[in-house]
Amino acid sequence: MSKRGGMRTAATAATIIVCFVLLAASVGPAMVSARPANQIPVESVSADAQPQDPTSEAWDTVPAVGVPMASAPSSVPNASETSVESIRVQSARTEKRLYLRLSWADGTADRNVSGPRRFADALAVQVPVNTSARPPISMGSDRNLVNVWYWSADGKTEELLAGGPGTTTKFEESAVETETTYDDGRWTVVMSRELESSAENRTPFAVENNVDVAFAVWNGSEMERSGRKSVSEWYHFPFGPGPQGPPYESILWTIAGLAIVGVALVTVKAVQKN
Amino acid sequence: MSTDNDATTEQVDLAEGIDHQVAMVMDLNKCIGCQTCTVACKSLWTEGGGRDYMYWNNVETKPGKGYPRDWEDSGGGWKSSEHNERKPGEIPSQEDYGDAWEFNHEEILYNGSDEPLRPDSDPEWGPNWDEDRGAGEYPNSYYFYLPRICNHCTHPSCVEACPRKAMYKREEDGIVLIDQERCRGYRYCVEGCPYKKVYYNATQKTSEKCIFCYPRIEGEGPDGETFAPACAEDCPPQLRLVGFLDDEEGPIHKLVNEYEVALPLHPEYQTQPNVYYIPPFAPPQHSEDGESVDVERIPRNYLEELFGERVHDALDTIEKERDKVNRGGESELLDMLTDTNPARKYRLEVFDDE
Repeated sequence: MSKRGGMRTAATAATIIVCFVLLAASVGPAMVSARPANQIPVESVSADAQPQDPTSEAWDTVPAVGVPMASAPSSVPNASETSVESIRVQSARTEKRLYLRLSWADGTADRNVSGPRRFADALAVQVPVNTSARPPISMGSDRNLVNVWYWSADGKTEELLAGGPGTTTKFEESAVETETTYDDGRWTVVMSRELESSAENRTPFAVENNVDVAFAVWNGSEMERSGRKSVSEWYHFPFGPGPQGPPYESILWTIAGLAIVGVALVTVKAVQKN
Repeated sequence: MSTDNDATTEQVDLAEGIDHQVAMVMDLNKCIGCQTCTVACKSLWTEGGGRDYMYWNNVETKPGKGYPRDWEDSGGGWKSSEHNERKPGEIPSQEDYGDAWEFNHEEILYNGSDEPLRPDSDPEWGPNWDEDRGAGEYPNSYYFYLPRICNHCTHPSCVEACPRKAMYKREEDGIVLIDQERCRGYRYCVEGCPYKKVYYNATQKTSEKCIFCYPRIEGEGPDGETFAPACAEDCPPQLRLVGFLDDEEGPIHKLVNEYEVALPLHPEYQTQPNVYYIPPFAPPQHSEDGESVDVERIPRNYLEELFGERVHDALDTIEKERDKVNRGGESELLDMLTDTNPARKYRLEVFDDE
């Protein structure tokens, strides 16, 4: 094969590769994950399918997001000693209500706080009161309040208002409904609330923008409570107008692909010169 | 005169932002271990409702493991007198507190059973399990009783430990309280108190503690009268003085700050308690023949463990004053320690006009 012919072949190959990369960049992310980062997709379901029930078939078709959890920064003793490393989150809506189904592994169901050293397993979901501004992740601030839905395995769910660590205050009446199961070493908790909210300081979900949401879990048998907890970063419900979030993943895929092609071409040329 | 007073006032170390500080002095030489204080407190504040295992006031035998068991090894308090870093502490187990036992009263009192009266359960520990055991060997064994309540400390590490600021020192009198509305039962106060005088109520799901009978000292009783805390008023040998640390005319200020014979328990915890103790004297040791020998029965180093090194001066001061009285002299100190007049022992209305 002549040198010129070799060059042409290389050029053709490079063009094909570039085309493939561009194609992969557009299709690839969709194959791996159809979501922008940190999104909790909200699937529409029928109220007849009983989504409040953690074992309802309604949840079979709702995509699950694996949310990594890490120890919350906190001044309480042993704050860095937490045990839950990830939770699974699903979300669905009916015409009236928003549902969250949260599930995580915990070898012991700690429902009983009968003794001074016993603590209950617990879960919290945090959303901003003002959904157009992202509050500090550690329970908001006095200017940017959060709602906290707090479920404890001793059987109660509280709806709390907070403006920073140590400030949670109960709503007079909780609007959050909770149903739970513990099966095969996993808690599954479904929390729901009406989308509409006219109450003061209660997060509205019938909005036209994305709504931030974050999660926290406590393992009672490890004496986790208060600021000693596993927490997520901010995630969001994609309630805003599409396209849903900036296409970071596509951009990254394209840049990575083109970089590979560039390196390949330079290498091929260098080999041919020798 | 007023200049003198001002000068002394500066010496009384009150917590920041506190107008006055309630205080109590307990004379350990008078305690007979009858537990009347314990029962007075329990029947007023801790019967039922998840409080059965709690003794806001307890009387334990020293040397002994105390209540809760081994509380002196449970951590808490401050690392230094700077009060900027707390020592880690542990929450005692239910076994260390002991349960409120159910007894077979029904069988014995109503069903004619010949069994001895005993708990239905088979407990292996409880409050005063080691009562009167003490230490030392016959004929020189020794023990004394140590009544304990919340110390309403000047630097309360329990207050600092609460991540929700649900605990506070009352501005008017320095009583340490838990806001039951704010408390969420996290129990950092329980582990943070080196005296283990905060208790978790598993029924209420909040922590609770001695309130220095504040409704009584506020005159909230049926006739609007002011009373000292029930543990003090109900004490048969009347071993407690109650008042304010900064009431310079009262016996507490004199015993604590002038004569320095009333000492806090475990000052090394650095919380600066406002309950003070007159350390115990005991008869000297005996020889095998029953003759008194010139050796102290309660080892000084043990008392130093409990009350710090100032215990030596305190005991020496009291001894000197006793000698003085034995020689026919007068002693203001011994007058205060033997005073039986309630109006002088309980001085709770001195700042009412402010």
